[in-house]
Amino acid sequence: MDEERLAQTLHNYERKVLSVLDKESTVSEISSKSGLKDIEVMRGLQWLENKGIVKLREDVKEIVELDSNGEKYREGGLPERRFLKFVKKDTPVSEILKEAKLSNEEVSVCLGVLKGKAAIAIRKDKELMVSILPQGEKILQKESLEELFLKKKFPILLSELTDEDKFALDSLRKRKNIVKVETRKIRKAELTEFGRKLSKSGIKFEETYDRLTPAMVRDGSWANKKFRRYDVKINVPLVFGGKKQHYARFLDDVRGKFISLGFSEMFGPIVETEFWDMDALFMPQFHSARDIHAAYYVKEPKYGKLDNYIVERVKESHEIGKGTISKGWQYKFDVNKTKQLILRTQGTALSARMLASKELKIPGKYFGIARCFRPDVVDATHSADFNQVEGIVIEEGLNFRHLKGLLKMFAEEFAETDQIKITPAYFPFTEPSAELHAKHPELGWIELGGSGIFRPELVKPLLGREISVLAWGLGIDRLAMFKLGIKDIRELFSHNLDFLKDVKVV
Amino acid sequence: MPTIKFSLKDLQNLVGKKLEIDEVSKLVEYGKGELEGYDKDSDEVSVEFGDTNLPYLWSIEGFARLVNGVLGGCKGIPKIEIKKSDYKLIVDESVKYVRPYIAAFVAKGHKVDDYLIKQMIQLQEKLCESYGRRRLKVAIGVYSYDKIKFPVHYKATSPESVKFIPLEFKKEMTQQEILEEHPTGKEYAWILKDAKKYPILVDSADSVLSFPPIINSNLTGRVVSGEEHLFVECTGIELEPLLLAMNIMAYAFYDRGFEIYSVDVKYENKKITTPLLFNDKIKITLEQVKSLLGLELKNSEIKMLLEKMGYDVGSDLNVKIPSYRKDILHPNDVIEDIGIAYGYDKFDEIPLTSYTVGETSLLVKFRNNIREMLIGLGFQEVLSPILSNKAVLYDKMNIPDFGTIELTNFMSETYSCVRSWLLPMLIDFLSKNKHFEYPQRVFEQGLVTVHKGDSVVDYERIAVVSANDKADYTEIRQVIDYLFRMLDVSYSVEDCEHDSFIPGRVGRVIVNGKKVAYIGEISPKVLNNNGIEVPVVGLELNISELFEIVGKN
Repeated sequence: MDEERLAQTLHNYERKVLSVLDKESTVSEISSKSGLKDIEVMRGLQWLENKGIVKLREDVKEIVELDSNGEKYREGGLPERRFLKFVKKDTPVSEILKEAKLSNEEVSVCLGVLKGKAAIAIRKDKELMVSILPQGEKILQKESLEELFLKKKFPILLSELTDEDKFALDSLRKRKNIVKVETRKIRKAELTEFGRKLSKSGIKFEETYDRLTPAMVRDGSWANKKFRRYDVKINVPLVFGGKKQHYARFLDDVRGKFISLGFSEMFGPIVETEFWDMDALFMPQFHSARDIHAAYYVKEPKYGKLDNYIVERVKESHEIGKGTISKGWQYKFDVNKTKQLILRTQGTALSARMLASKELKIPGKYFGIARCFRPDVVDATHSADFNQVEGIVIEEGLNFRHLKGLLKMFAEEFAETDQIKITPAYFPFTEPSAELHAKHPELGWIELGGSGIFRPELVKPLLGREISVLAWGLGIDRLAMFKLGIKDIRELFSHNLDFLKDVKVV
Repeated sequence: MPTIKFSLKDLQNLVGKKLEIDEVSKLVEYGKGELEGYDKDSDEVSVEFGDTNLPYLWSIEGFARLVNGVLGGCKGIPKIEIKKSDYKLIVDESVKYVRPYIAAFVAKGHKVDDYLIKQMIQLQEKLCESYGRRRLKVAIGVYSYDKIKFPVHYKATSPESVKFIPLEFKKEMTQQEILEEHPTGKEYAWILKDAKKYPILVDSADSVLSFPPIINSNLTGRVVSGEEHLFVECTGIELEPLLLAMNIMAYAFYDRGFEIYSVDVKYENKKITTPLLFNDKIKITLEQVKSLLGLELKNSEIKMLLEKMGYDVGSDLNVKIPSYRKDILHPNDVIEDIGIAYGYDKFDEIPLTSYTVGETSLLVKFRNNIREMLIGLGFQEVLSPILSNKAVLYDKMNIPDFGTIELTNFMSETYSCVRSWLLPMLIDFLSKNKHFEYPQRVFEQGLVTVHKGDSVVDYERIAVVSANDKADYTEIRQVIDYLFRMLDVSYSVEDCEHDSFIPGRVGRVIVNGKKVAYIGEISPKVLNNNGIEVPVVGLELNISELFEIVGKN
């Protein structure tokens, strides 16, 4: 940055500091020269350091400070001097105490100190009587080393004391709260080479303004004011706004994408009958996926309401394949079982409901984002609930090659690739069935979902006639995890505010 | 989903070809399987075969048979020879009410080793557990033939009347004792829960073979390395699954080099000789193939493809199905195999061309508008699982249960019911974020489910909370006021009682005479229950009901 420009970014504090900083100086030196407060000097120095104009250094020093009694004695003199002034011959201590306005404690210190210096003689009569000695008279004539020391300007660096000062300090430190020695960090600032160059370059540090005020705008005074140039690269404190939950945003995007591809959204209940969740999908009631461990059962109410007509059609289809050329599953369909309430285990339940619905349009494309539930221990790969995105394309004359075309479109839309692989798979409700794998640009081959063509034994009882229905389901939770860079599926429903505030909008 | 393990070398032996693991990975796709792994050191391959209707693939022999066809080593239905024999199995009518059916065969003339026993047990277990619904439908026993004196009798006796030494035990036990004390007995006792008599299989010397479907006897029911002749049986509650299981087993033993002998099973008034090769037939047409797969194939091409997959194809596309398969209900099931044999890779895709307009419901738009406005007010959106528990929903919220969908078979108490309202999700959220700086302002939009009388109702709801030192009624009232003003809905607020809120600081929001929301200051009792140390205000709005009233215009 060129120097002139830099100079324009300087805050008033910085400019004042800079104008008095010729050699290495302490904060207090700078503040006394510049007229700024210590805190303002510190700020100015910090900013100058950030810009590489000054270098800050911290010295750890031992310093001598006056303590509470020290402040007092500096003004009023040491107690022993005040004491001595009132000592004549055989003066009672009680009298001195009163005259000199000393405390009992101070009096006993005075007696000790003065006797030690042979300044007084003490006699004990009814009470203590003191008489001044010649040495005492001498002391009264001139100030002691301790007194001289107290009058110095504090704080004083311990390292700068003379021998006499040290003697005085030692003697004062023995007494209560007169002086104290502390270690202290002393900040010193010095111009860097760049700083010296800037300072010598003769740039004028003009008065600048920080804020544009409404008054300046109104009265036009802004026109002849200079506004301080800011360092626009500066880091600022973090701010957080309200935003969509990451997974909700992802699902919104998925919904938007399907709608733009011509798909309409399907809806259905969370608490579902076995009928719509499985039987309507031609999954035989003895199928291993219908084990008690495969679904959550509801305590109350146990059974849901169903349209008997459609149950009868599905029953016949299961039992003997009635309605199609299928021979059916050849078993006894349990009408009671089909009414049992469970939590929806698969999004395909929505497709079954749509096929039986009066709303169905042919040709039609449908999708559903369904919260589903299966008994599993919750861990990094199993969430308490999960979402499935499932759907159908219904139209006369669709075949496996259309299914492949549909899957390719999904891969392009959801995995950003046209490299797909479909492999044979098994789903109870489709024939043929295929699994979709896509080559993700970063993750390589990933399993995107399952698909197939609905079995006629499923379509006929629900719709009343046979027609080709392409069905598919995408592992949307896994796609969300890829997209959001999440490793633990539970983070899709994170209750960590830190995480939610911080998670990226992608 | 069943996963089977076998050695690659064994597969190569059975197929008679050297195969790389990459080729195996491709070949399992013909059986709708997926290669799970291969351990070079032990030469062990793991493959998952997910089609529960194709149990023959749950053995290395079955898979090798498929591979043989695919690679051209065998055309059409694989060969099996079943020799007629005098072996008899007599079914007593006493089994009628407990476990009425049995099927069996004898396999002779091939020495078994430890690996083969392991493979045999693997197939037997998969058939019983997955296909046989944990032995309910199918339970298989394999015995040392040399120790059995034919005919064998299948009957049911009272639980205390027969004693024998079961596998893995040293002492004689009654059947009742086995169900109560033996680990396997305890595991499968549920199958005989309501039975008054228990099934038993004995030979003509009255020596016990097994207690189906629980356990074999230690004497005859243990097959060890070096034996050459085996007796195999299978019991169940319906006949057809047993016949299929026996065909799958018989084929597997035949492929290994055993000679298979049939057994005459004599019921009270009929006789069935098993294994019974049913060789079902189905007719397909060129039209069906074309309409399902979109391929215009010639008869000869279809014949070639189906023969690869183990079918026999007669004139006019009359297809004969191998007897180890019972999954063909409809011509489409056969046609799928044509597609698989043709190769999914080779299909040219056709784009969808019909024009449809995509749309979602107005309710979705309505709820998204509300979300958007709350975000505009600076609220962070939160999503929670729908499964919750009564402590979070009621106890901690200081209110009684008002109608909850509870689960009978939950995995953990934490997720033992469906949430009936949304505010507790956010209170729970706040309790988990006490370390984070305030103010905390969050909302959640989602489904709740309420049990009302006989019915179950889902509602779209939205809940909002603000937690901060100065949170008060005005703050949350401003939120609802903003939402309703922007939605152009006129509303009123009435006094109400709700123990999750501070008395006198909770309002019921009314639109067109319908109660659509609660707003107010959360009770300090609720805050204490959740360990929250700042004031919280909140609201819960029934979007479904509000939409019913105003959203449709």
